[in-house]
Amino acid sequence: MSSGLILALISFVGNQSAVPSNSKNVPKIHFETEIRPILKAYCLDCHGGTDKPKGGLDLRLKRFAVKGGDSGTSLVEGNPSASLLWERMSQGDMPPGEKKVPSDQIALVERWIREGAHTKKTEPELLPPGLGITEEDRSWWAFVPLKKPEVPSGPNQNPIDAFIGKKLMEKGLGFNPPASPRELFVRASLVLTGIAPDFEEIQTFERDKSPDRWLKTVDRLLGSSAYGERWARHWLDVVGYADSEGDGSADSPRDHAWRYRDWVIRAFNRDLPLDQFIQEQLAGDEMVPKPWTNLTPDQAETLAATGFLRMVPGANSADGAEQVMTDTIKVFSASLLGVSVGCAQCHDHRYDPISQEDYFRIRAILEPAVNPGQWRVPGQRLISLYTDKDRAKAGEVDARIAKDMQKAAERESVLVREALEKELQKYGEPLRAKLREAFAASGEKRTAEQNELVTKHPNLVISGGVLYQYNQQGADEVKGLREKAQANGTDKPPEGFVMVMDETGVIPATKLFYRGDPRQPKNEVLPGDLAVLSPDLKPVSIAPRVPSGTSSGRRLVYARHLTSGVHPLFGRVMANRIWMHHFGGGLVDTPAEFGRLGQTPSHPELLNWLALELPAKKWSLKSFHRLILNSKTWQQSSLHSELGDKLDGGDVLLHRYPTRRLEAEALRDRMLAAIGRLDKAAFGPPIPVVEDISGQVLVPDDKPRRSIYLQQKRSKPVALLGAFDQPVNMVLCEKRVVATNAPQALMLLNGNFVHTQANHMATRIISELEKENSDNIDSVMILERTVNLVWQRVLLRDPSTEEKALSMELVRSQSAPGPVIEDPVSGSPAKVAESPKKLLPGSPSTGPAVPIKPKLPEKVAIAHLAHQLLISNEFIHVP
Amino acid sequence: MYPNNQSCQQNRFPGALESGILRRQFLGQATGIGGLALASLIGETANGNTTKPGENLPANLLAKNPHFAPRAKAMISLFMHGGPSHVDLLDPKPELSRMHGKEYKGDVGYSFIKRASKTLFGSPFKFAKHGKCGTEVSELLPWASRIVDDICVIRSMHTGHNGHEVSIRYFHGGIAGVTGRPTMGSWLVYGLGNPSHRLPAYMVLGDPAGHPVDGASNWSSGFMPPIYQGTVLRPTEPRILDLDPPKEIRGAPQARDLAFLAKINQIHMRSNQGKASRPDPELEARIASFELAAYMQDAAREAFDLTQESEYIRKLYGLDQAKTRSYGERCLIARRLVERGVRFVQLFLGGQPWDNHDNLKGTLSDICSQTDQPSAALVMDLKQRGLLDTTIVHWGGEIGRLPVCEGELSATTGRDHNGQGFSIWLAGGGIKPGMTYGATDEVGHRAAVNVVNPNDFQATILNQFGLDHSKLIWYQNGRAEQLTAGTKPRIIKDILV
Repeated sequence: MSSGLILALISFVGNQSAVPSNSKNVPKIHFETEIRPILKAYCLDCHGGTDKPKGGLDLRLKRFAVKGGDSGTSLVEGNPSASLLWERMSQGDMPPGEKKVPSDQIALVERWIREGAHTKKTEPELLPPGLGITEEDRSWWAFVPLKKPEVPSGPNQNPIDAFIGKKLMEKGLGFNPPASPRELFVRASLVLTGIAPDFEEIQTFERDKSPDRWLKTVDRLLGSSAYGERWARHWLDVVGYADSEGDGSADSPRDHAWRYRDWVIRAFNRDLPLDQFIQEQLAGDEMVPKPWTNLTPDQAETLAATGFLRMVPGANSADGAEQVMTDTIKVFSASLLGVSVGCAQCHDHRYDPISQEDYFRIRAILEPAVNPGQWRVPGQRLISLYTDKDRAKAGEVDARIAKDMQKAAERESVLVREALEKELQKYGEPLRAKLREAFAASGEKRTAEQNELVTKHPNLVISGGVLYQYNQQGADEVKGLREKAQANGTDKPPEGFVMVMDETGVIPATKLFYRGDPRQPKNEVLPGDLAVLSPDLKPVSIAPRVPSGTSSGRRLVYARHLTSGVHPLFGRVMANRIWMHHFGGGLVDTPAEFGRLGQTPSHPELLNWLALELPAKKWSLKSFHRLILNSKTWQQSSLHSELGDKLDGGDVLLHRYPTRRLEAEALRDRMLAAIGRLDKAAFGPPIPVVEDISGQVLVPDDKPRRSIYLQQKRSKPVALLGAFDQPVNMVLCEKRVVATNAPQALMLLNGNFVHTQANHMATRIISELEKENSDNIDSVMILERTVNLVWQRVLLRDPSTEEKALSMELVRSQSAPGPVIEDPVSGSPAKVAESPKKLLPGSPSTGPAVPIKPKLPEKVAIAHLAHQLLISNEFIHVP
Repeated sequence: MYPNNQSCQQNRFPGALESGILRRQFLGQATGIGGLALASLIGETANGNTTKPGENLPANLLAKNPHFAPRAKAMISLFMHGGPSHVDLLDPKPELSRMHGKEYKGDVGYSFIKRASKTLFGSPFKFAKHGKCGTEVSELLPWASRIVDDICVIRSMHTGHNGHEVSIRYFHGGIAGVTGRPTMGSWLVYGLGNPSHRLPAYMVLGDPAGHPVDGASNWSSGFMPPIYQGTVLRPTEPRILDLDPPKEIRGAPQARDLAFLAKINQIHMRSNQGKASRPDPELEARIASFELAAYMQDAAREAFDLTQESEYIRKLYGLDQAKTRSYGERCLIARRLVERGVRFVQLFLGGQPWDNHDNLKGTLSDICSQTDQPSAALVMDLKQRGLLDTTIVHWGGEIGRLPVCEGELSATTGRDHNGQGFSIWLAGGGIKPGMTYGATDEVGHRAAVNVVNPNDFQATILNQFGLDHSKLIWYQNGRAEQLTAGTKPRIIKDILV
């Protein structure tokens, strides 16, 4: 895998120094492939990119360089020192300013001239103005049209194996033997669902000798709701999902984001074809006819899909609206196009053939919906999910409550009047009458004398709030009436909202911003795709024929164009992402950067084949998974070998299934599932997280919901998940970092979460043991049985002889020597445990004789063993 | 939680791991037959670092001999990312002040997002000569002014790129704009190993306001194994979560757990290793992380315990003032880590406080008042302890700022990014004190004399550690990779003692 232009050039120069340049083994340097990229990066801004090249010198073609400018020819074939091009460059005169051509690239130019300044093809006589897009630009691997390559012939049935096997063979390598059935089952479960099967399921699988047991198992895993929860998480990374706004330290909750998360989970679970998956996210609003009242659940879902366009942080105010637009384009291009168009916001991309116009074409697709010019804060984008019936019912309930409350108020004023009259009885006439008159008069109509009376007698100022001071019973009665009124209203249907990105009917003109500055708008740009992707180099116009309703229709038309099955970037990007989540690394390991600053594919032909296989499989991701899961490549073991490590360190060629740690969420979920605690409830508002006294963010009460349902606050990642690299999504995460460090180990060793789970596991083990018939077995046997059970529950297998011995020793040594006090967790009655030594025959014993019926090992000791297995490498890695 | 009935074990083995006996017992168990990651990854004996062409240094943390006698053993990098404005801090430009408000005649190497104007913006801050060497420093850095005789100010830094990300990647990974590469700390640990048994060799101190741009990429080991990654500390106590074991397992019970865990992990790793000569690097690094974690329970707690410091030291670092306390604590912890054998400590800031696009006068003064005293105190303190001779202190960002104002010239104007020329300072570890090196053009836009790019900087740092940048190679599938891959670097000999 080479990484980017610079590296490619360096290794090129490296080759040059290793072998004399006149050797026939060294490939010739050509203008189009090696030299023009250098000139583009350093020279063409002035010498070719503008209408009038500086000094009359145009360097876009070799022919033009020979022709030269005001100072005469700049290029003499075979003679670098006579060529101004090389001379000015090597002496540091050009380019002016501080950014100079690196010496290795100057050397490359020198060699090119010395070799005779070759071009690959005959150059045209003339070029249209501008840098344009050259044939070499278009021939960059990611931009070339998709063409299904021929599957290499050979022994491998599965095309994936044919491509992977061919490269392995070229290196003198082959596939590892298949992993064991148990490993494969666990691997498939973890990769597809993020949780492992239980021991009994594995036993059933191993016993099943039917030829289709693998297919059945894969189908069952793909059919489980856990599959969507697992794969939705991957997509949520790249779109930058969070349950908070990311607005500085407040990081206010984004209350309705979870509907988008649920939509993604459901989409994966029902195998929503990938083309529709994208279309709904880009333009779900254009698919649901307005007015958006009485929405069906399906319609509400389709609208929720547009959450994709409003994942990025910030902007409850118009100030940040431009940043939201910029970041949304970032999410859009990283997730769907795999190129960073961001550079082109301010100037034509220096490395990739992406122009500033291209950038604004993409902006024009999204601008009518995002619309920073007429910014709508989140609250203004909410659509009520009430149906007319709900609303009528709510109105009815509200009216009923209001009526009852009115009754309470009336009763209250009667009681207040009574209380006042009672107080007035304390005064003699004529003062009483005057007071009565003064308090009966409304504020502004009181005379000065009456005002004075009121001020002098605050005890007579009686309202509902102070009624209890005069008539406790009456106050209680009113309170009871009010409570009853509210309690009578619980049948009011709760009102849900969905956040929709839609358009207002006015299509804002998208203007190209000079240097990317919104204050300097220039010409208007129409929506379109990147010009380099079009065969005639004209931007692909995506202006819709008929605008749909109040919408410009741009997004839907673009989404269809993107998912037509032939889009060069989209297909490759998606195939690569799916691949990455199966193998830990992509065929292109920079999954959101397919341009020259990214890496090149390790298996370009396979990538092309897969990109076309997606539409061939009617965009069914589940079918695509089956294809991968049925390959030798996927099913081989992860065993290392000397030769494999030497020739394929980093597992790029896939001579073995790569070792990888479970992601943060899978780690937590697998632990909860192993214990049998995982709460499988799906969907709904996120479980709020809390901060403890030390600032550690936790799930309150250790709620065992799947991690995808925990509130994801950008500023407050759950400590355990954050430590294991869950992204905070300040914008988006194109590929997770995998850290291995001591703080993670401390969290696993000392953290409350794992301790709690280990204790739960011990409780579970004891209850299972208690159900078993323990007649006629001795204390060693029961210890052995305990150890086996812990291994089966956690690591899904029986321990080896060595592992068993170590485990038994651990349980023995971790048993408390003294009397056991009442178990604070289970609350089971206190029983005096024997010393653990007494469990062991042959141990020196000072107490009474060995009991007839052996006691179970102590819970605390079982917890120690469970804990170590739960944090073992075998548990936290995909086998 | 385990039931509390384990507390009796506490009485039997008070401070078991601390006692030494159990430590040996734990190690004895942990390092049992077959060897154990930490035993193989960390050791006292230095081994050579000459390899055959195409072969990497052994992927372990054993102390390794440098290529030649080193001047530095450790480095503390005060990374001031965001772009500290050199023309307002360390690079006085009288010509710029004279031209204040006039149009800049040259081309502005502008930044892409914001809005650099062409109006020259003279520094609103006063510069004065300080120390015996007479280095001019801005009034914003009264504390740095007191250490000018101990530092070398480089005024000709240059990345050629104005963007934060592109330049920060150049500084850490060696190639402008490229991610996925090991950072300088990783290369140091790869080349020299970990001299400490008890703490990670490469530590990062985070900021309460969050991580820098690019997040964890700034301390990633890239294509190298994860044992070379930086370990991040939290910005406030607890610096490391879950550092202390629950009391019922502290001591002997945990030592037994760890010994057991190590053994079953070993069995698992060996069975995965097959016939290969090396085990899986990720599995091995994970095992080592547990062993290091066990040691850190004691060592890190002790290293972070600032109550051990005298009142004088606490005041020196500004722990007595609200403004300087946070950064001061981190500088002080950095010193304590280096004292305890940590090789490379890097401090980051969150929220881009040096990125003064607006209101330069206010925002720049503010961040200086938080960081100036602790940064200088660190140099003073290392010096008085005799540690400065072998410890490099680096202060600097990935870019600087433009001499022109952003938008209209006003009382609250700011400056846009400038990767064409900016300043940093270095101290200790064989760097020549009391000097300035290089210069920008007359207005401070572009490095003009003795230009230093990040690769030159890296080559020079490696040189002080006794490493030849061209020989410190990592072969990645047959391709030779080195830290300074972006250009052909030079060692800045003029700034070396």
